[in-house]
Amino acid sequence: MASGAQAQTGTVVGEEYTATIWIDPDGCEHWVMDDGAEGYMDARRTRDGGAVCHRSEICGVIPTDQLFATDEAWISEAAKSDLMSFFQSANAFGYLIYGHTDARASDEYNMGLSQRRADMVASVAKASGVRVVDVKGFGERQPRAQGNSADALQQNRRVEIYCIR
Amino acid sequence: MKSIKITALLIAGLGLSACGLDQGMRTGTERSYDAGTDSKHLSQLVAGIWVDQDGCDHWIVDDGIEGYLSARLTPDGRPVCSGVAPPNTVVGPFREGSDIPDRL
Repeated sequence: MASGAQAQTGTVVGEEYTATIWIDPDGCEHWVMDDGAEGYMDARRTRDGGAVCHRSEICGVIPTDQLFATDEAWISEAAKSDLMSFFQSANAFGYLIYGHTDARASDEYNMGLSQRRADMVASVAKASGVRVVDVKGFGERQPRAQGNSADALQQNRRVEIYCIR
Repeated sequence: MKSIKITALLIAGLGLSACGLDQGMRTGTERSYDAGTDSKHLSQLVAGIWVDQDGCDHWIVDDGIEGYLSARLTPDGRPVCSGVAPPNTVVGPFREGSDIPDRL
């Protein structure tokens, strides 16, 4: 993350102002400072705009091989009832549902496939009577495991479900 | 004369006890702590949710004298608009991090 920083030349006239980290109930980090009377807070982000969060916030990672056939976004009745019982027992206020694929087809194709799969899981969630807050497909752009081994590819084919309280 | 000054200081001290007598005079890592009667490290803050006029969520903390507000984000950095409450509404235990009474 420091690689994008510009080298400074000359003298910076400033005051030391060191923040600490507060972690919100979703598991994401915020910069926070207490100046005595004033307090300041802002979300910590990666340089590509993402939130800086901890893995514990995920309440379900479903390998898509369990739900979908290769290149398909429909779901079997058995998998559907498993998913429904998950949503009914997870006891969250709402769900964020994100589809991911491995990198074996084109980026554009995988973006579409992961979106259709996330939409399918979201439709099951809605049919279970729970609240879907966000649904998105990320294609192959956010791999969970690096490399092209069968194991890595299998880990990357997944639907991640975040529970928000 | 001297005792009057001390009394004035004591009153000022009581009035500002939420943040200590160091109002605006803190430096560096001192800013990572909330001082005074409800002192603690800032990682211990308790938040609620404030919903903005667009319907999106923000973490809100009322820590006595200080107030904090920061966006609730999806993992890829978009706003979370959960529908937990109508716009311009606050929900949750956001005042629980401090014993200092709040007149707002």
